[in-house]
Amino acid sequence: MQSANMLLRRIVGRFVLPFAAQHGMKKDLFPLSRTLSLSLRLKQDKSCEPSEKLDLDEWKKVMKSGLQEEVSETASEPKELSSLAAARETLEMWRLAGRAVPENISEEQLKTFMECPSKSAKKKYLKYLYLKEFHKKNDKRKMDEKRERRLEAQDQYSKTDETKKSPFVCLWSRTMDKAYNWRAAQSMVFGQPLVFDMSYEKEMSVREVTNTVRQIVMSESSNRRSVDPFHIHFCNFKDDSLYHREFIKNYRDAWDKLLITVTDQCYTEIFPKDKLIYLTADSPKVMKTFDHDKIYIVGSMVDKSIKTGVSLARAKRLGLETAALPLEKYLLWCTGAKNLTLDQMMYILLTLKDTADWEKALEFVPKRKYCGFVNKPVKELKKTLDLINTLKLGKGREKVEKQFAKNYPKK
Amino acid sequence: VQPPEKPLQAEEWNKLRENFQSPEIFEEVMLNSMIRCNSPIDVAKSLLTHLAKRNGDIAYNVLVKYLTLCVQQGQVSEIRDVYDIMKVRFKILESGAYNLLIRGLSNSNQWRMALAVLEEVKKIMIPSRVCYESCIKAASRHQEMKLAFELYNEMLAKDVVPTLDVLQSFFDFNRGMKGAELQKELFGILLYLRENQIYPHKTFMWSIKLWFESLPGGNWRGHLTNIKDSGQCPVCKHQLEDSNLTEEEYSNLSERIIRDVIHGTDTFRKTSPKELEAFQTFVENRLPFDIVIDGLNVAHIKSRRMQCENLFDAVNCLAKENARLLVLGRKHMLMNSSNWKREIMEEMQNKADFFFAENISEDDAFLLYATLRSGKHCKFVTRDFLRDHKACLSDSLTRHLFRKWQRGHQIVNTLYKVQKKCFPYFFSQQPALRYDCVVQTTGDTWHIPYKNVFEEKYSYQVPRKWLCIQQK
Repeated sequence: MQSANMLLRRIVGRFVLPFAAQHGMKKDLFPLSRTLSLSLRLKQDKSCEPSEKLDLDEWKKVMKSGLQEEVSETASEPKELSSLAAARETLEMWRLAGRAVPENISEEQLKTFMECPSKSAKKKYLKYLYLKEFHKKNDKRKMDEKRERRLEAQDQYSKTDETKKSPFVCLWSRTMDKAYNWRAAQSMVFGQPLVFDMSYEKEMSVREVTNTVRQIVMSESSNRRSVDPFHIHFCNFKDDSLYHREFIKNYRDAWDKLLITVTDQCYTEIFPKDKLIYLTADSPKVMKTFDHDKIYIVGSMVDKSIKTGVSLARAKRLGLETAALPLEKYLLWCTGAKNLTLDQMMYILLTLKDTADWEKALEFVPKRKYCGFVNKPVKELKKTLDLINTLKLGKGREKVEKQFAKNYPKK
Repeated sequence: VQPPEKPLQAEEWNKLRENFQSPEIFEEVMLNSMIRCNSPIDVAKSLLTHLAKRNGDIAYNVLVKYLTLCVQQGQVSEIRDVYDIMKVRFKILESGAYNLLIRGLSNSNQWRMALAVLEEVKKIMIPSRVCYESCIKAASRHQEMKLAFELYNEMLAKDVVPTLDVLQSFFDFNRGMKGAELQKELFGILLYLRENQIYPHKTFMWSIKLWFESLPGGNWRGHLTNIKDSGQCPVCKHQLEDSNLTEEEYSNLSERIIRDVIHGTDTFRKTSPKELEAFQTFVENRLPFDIVIDGLNVAHIKSRRMQCENLFDAVNCLAKENARLLVLGRKHMLMNSSNWKREIMEEMQNKADFFFAENISEDDAFLLYATLRSGKHCKFVTRDFLRDHKACLSDSLTRHLFRKWQRGHQIVNTLYKVQKKCFPYFFSQQPALRYDCVVQTTGDTWHIPYKNVFEEKYSYQVPRKWLCIQQK
């Protein structure tokens, strides 16, 4: 049996090669534009002649023959797989079946995958890994392209051989860093405090904490680059918490050199209570102006599973004043939750601090969430909103209208 | 793409492939459309042969697609061949292929092989409910009832939720069969419906009816009927189970509501400890109430009228029967405004007890607490479905209890106009159900609620149609 199969395989192997050559030749012979009519004619021809040449089960032989050797190898292996290996095998099969599964997966990720409580959780996690891998690959490809282009440009540049005349040594980024740090240091002495409340770790999943930290890193950098930075405080910050570990992952050595105040104390212990204002989207009070004497608190929380009122509860417990951004007053809200990301919040607060211009500050609200600024009477706006929705959505108008009625109640 | 009608030669496939806009996925697209058009299997075979010759190999996803086609057409020998090839080629398969294999094999006379595949799946993962469904159906089709029930129980033990189809097939295949053991298993399925508050659909109901009537020597008779509001079955004059909870269930539920809904993770999220305490002393001093009203919900019933007038009508309407009322509201209702006139509010406060919560507190939680504290006779009025509060309860058992209690105690107020005249407004109190709407038995009778497949059913609606089965 085995020898027969081997023979068959050899025959097939021999067959494949010349066939491919033939195939390539044919491609050259007939221009593409003609192939369609040709194939039609061929089909018709075929329907007349009997298809005795076609061995329909040939593929099975090919499939089986290619395997005999491998099988004899694998047969000696122990049949029972460890759970980790089994998971890896399953993933491989899913990948072959064309599901969204990453190509490479680390041991740690595999363990996380196996700990997922449900099938859908597993699927979601895999998709996340898959997309991450995909983006990484894309980025790498782009980087490579860029490097090539730069090399080319350099070659050309060296050929032209032009000397640069400039009074400054080209050290932009380092000088800028120095300037930024100088400003940040100044803000640590004279600046208005801005508090990030780091006490939400228990309310969040690991993914959410990671996202939170990324957002805070972004806000910190935008703060450092601004003309008049805040003095950032991380309050209720526990050493060796998940936050801490994530920050170190993000900042590495720079973590100890950051020009911010990190403390495990609560803001109520550092600042007078009557000066604190807790910013939360759930607040019944709407912020009217930015007050330079107050200390604003932002909750460091990403809330993917809807947990309303968590930060409001915290403020209530401590008896603090709360405020929400006047989003509805200035924006014609369309979709999305009214809680913004931490970096958006930072941009808005910085702009308010510098200009006190709400419209300018609220530019940083993502465009998809609102249709435009409220600058006309509500009635007219409703008309435009209707128009937009009929054009864009066609249906679902009632829902939008209801939303509108809720957002802009009749006075 | 349109799949060809006859098997093609390799060159012809090549032509087709070249003309296709993205040749890399040509085979997949072609097989997909073959599955859609249910093309003859020979055409697919010729494509595979062409593929095997060109690459010396066939990718897994293409094989799975071919398998789909085979299963669709019930080509058992092909399925077996593909399975053999896959088994040698790959160490394990993924769930999609297993599902297909089991489905394909279980429908043939080689259904025992499907069981073997199921065993193989179990080694790697928890089989899907479709797998179990196919195997159970195959076993019962071949009169292997014991095996079918074994699989069924295994499925339940693994927390795989059975489809209604599986449950129905048990009744279909056991028609006219003898055996106390079997009967007990099928009663077990009916009790499963009861415990999980599942309502069978019409065809399923017919299967149940026919099974009962086919029981040898049982003399069971089934009738379709509607149950009166009083809860009496018009056929057998039997009183259905009360919708009231037992003492234990009741205290359990009120405890859980306080713990999960009002306190939750943080008492401050819905109220504050101070307010909660004030409310509790308020309620304890005035117990028991007959009806608790969600003031703000009732006030928004008719948007054209003043909100306090709506509430006033409701309070008047409900106060007539000399009932003790509690109205829950928020502090802003006390401010004299266009919607809340002080005089009317004061008049109302003579007729009912009022509790005003903070404007940012949740009054629904208080509503639940006050009603539960007042005892079993107490009802509450709101149009709210209270879904968000039900969702706060941590386990499904308590959620079922909550729903049962809600069905029995919630008065849904709707206003309707009396013929052309706009005034006066009346409350139509949708009667709270007095009987419990679940599968139930007394030993010699069974009452099974069922739903028409076509009628819309929301989770808060319960079916009004019943199957009454009695033993003569």
